[in-house]
Amino acid sequence: MSLKYGVLGLLKGEPLHGYEVKNRFEAMLGGTWEVNIGQIYTTLQRLERDGLVKPVGQRGDRRKLQYELSDAGQKALDQWLAQPDSGPQQLHEDIYVKLLLATRIANGDLQPMLARQKRTYLQRLRDLNRLEERARHDGRIDLARLVRGALLHTEADLKWMDELSSERFGAEEAE
Amino acid sequence: MIDLVRLTDVNKVYQGGITGALNGVSISVEKGEFAAIMGPSGSGKSTMLNLIAGLDRPTSGTITVGGTDLAKLSEGGLARFRRDTIGFVFQFFYLLSNLTALENVLIPAQLKGGDAKAHARDLLDKLGIKEVADKYPARLSGGQQQRVAIARALINNPMLLLADEPTGALDTHSGDQVMELLGGLHRDGQTILLVTHDAKLATRNAARVLSVVDGRIVDDARLESPERAASEVIRVRSEETSR
Ligand SMILES: Nc1ncnc2c1ncn2[C@@H]1O[C@H](COP(=O)(O)OP(=O)(O)OP(=O)(O)O)[C@@H](O)[C@H]1O
Ligand SMILES: [Mg+2]
Repeated sequence: MSLKYGVLGLLKGEPLHGYEVKNRFEAMLGGTWEVNIGQIYTTLQRLERDGLVKPVGQRGDRRKLQYELSDAGQKALDQWLAQPDSGPQQLHEDIYVKLLLATRIANGDLQPMLARQKRTYLQRLRDLNRLEERARHDGRIDLARLVRGALLHTEADLKWMDELSSERFGAEEAE
Repeated sequence: MIDLVRLTDVNKVYQGGITGALNGVSISVEKGEFAAIMGPSGSGKSTMLNLIAGLDRPTSGTITVGGTDLAKLSEGGLARFRRDTIGFVFQFFYLLSNLTALENVLIPAQLKGGDAKAHARDLLDKLGIKEVADKYPARLSGGQQQRVAIARALINNPMLLLADEPTGALDTHSGDQVMELLGGLHRDGQTILLVTHDAKLATRNAARVLSVVDGRIVDDARLESPERAASEVIRVRSEETSR
C-alpha cells in the first residue's frame, strides 16, 4: 500500500530518520494525508524486517536513526511504480447502504435523503474549487492535480444522486 | 437589501405544451449575487432566463427586475428594458458574421445611441481579446467568440447578466477561462444568473445553486465559503492492512 512505497520513494533520494520521513511525506501530499510518527516507525521496522531498507550507522536513539534504501527495496519500488493501480473500485458505500435501508424502513420517499446528499456534494465541490485555487496560487501544481481528481470524483457522485432521484430510486419496492 | 430579481408563482405553458415548462416558480435574487441554475434537459432553465430577460412573457405570475414589473411594460418598453438592464450570453454566441468583433460589441450601444467605442475597446481589453477587435467571428476560436459575446452583453452596463450555458460549446480550457471572467465580473459587483450543466464550474463562483426539475425549484442550496485546510476537504485513502 502506498505509505510503504511512499516511504521507500522518499528514502530513494537520501537517508532519512523517522520525523524527516513523516514531514516530507505529509508535505508531498499537501496535508491531505496525515500520518502519525508511530505509523512511520512501524512502517520502517517492517521494511527493515523485509530487507527493503537498512539503518545507517549505530542503532541507539530511534529518533536519530536514519534509514536508506536497500537493493531489494529499490527493486520493490521500481516494480510498484511500474504496476497500474488495480484492485476494486472504491465507492462511497455509506450513502448507498443508507438508501437501501431507507427504502425498507421509510417506505418510499428517498428524495429528501438524496437532496441532502446532493447539497453536501455541492458544498464539497465549492470547497475543492477554493482549495484548487489556493494550491495554484501557492504554486503547488501537484496538489492542484490531486484536487482536480477529487473534483471529478465528486462530480460523478453528484451525477449518481441525480440519476437515482430521476429514477425514483426505491419506488419499485414501495409499490 | 432589495431583491434585484423576483419571481412570484410564475407559470409558463408553451403553445401546444401539455405540461407547463415552469410550474409555480418563486425565487428572488439579490443585487451582487452569483447564482447557478442547474437541472436536467427540458426542466425549464432556459425558459426561466428568457422570462427574466423579457424575451418572453409568463402565462401567469409576476416577474420584477430592478423593481420593474415586466407585465406593466409594453412591447417597446420591454425592448428598452432588455437593452438597458439585461446582458445575455448564450451557448452558441450568436455573433453577426458580417460584423467585426468590435462592431458586434457595439450593437446594443448603437441601439441606445451614443458613442461607446472606447468602452467597447476597454471591455475587449479587460476580457483579454483586444487583438481580435477588427477580426470577423469566423476567424475566432470558440472561446474568443464567447468573450466577444460577453463584451457585447456588458456594453450597456446591465444591472443583470444572464448566461445560458456559456461554456456548453467550449472545450475545458476555454470554458475555464470564460468562467474565470464571469467570476471576475462578479467580484467587481456584477449580479449574475448562470445556467450550466457543469457543477464543478458552477461552484467555482456561485455560492448559491438552484435546482430545477420539471419546471419546479426543488432545491435552493446556499453554499459556504470558509477557508478549509486541505485535510478537511481531501483525505487520501490508505488501507492499513499490509503487514
Ligand atoms: N418555444 C417553445 N415552444 C414550445 N415548447 C418549448 C419552447 N421552448 C421550450 N419548450 C419546452 O419547455 C420545456 C422547458 O424547456 P427549456 O428550454 O426551458 O429547458 P432547459 O432546462 O433549458 O433544457 P436544456 O438543458 O436542454 O437547455 C421543454 O419541455 C421544452 O420542450
Ligand atoms: Mg436550455
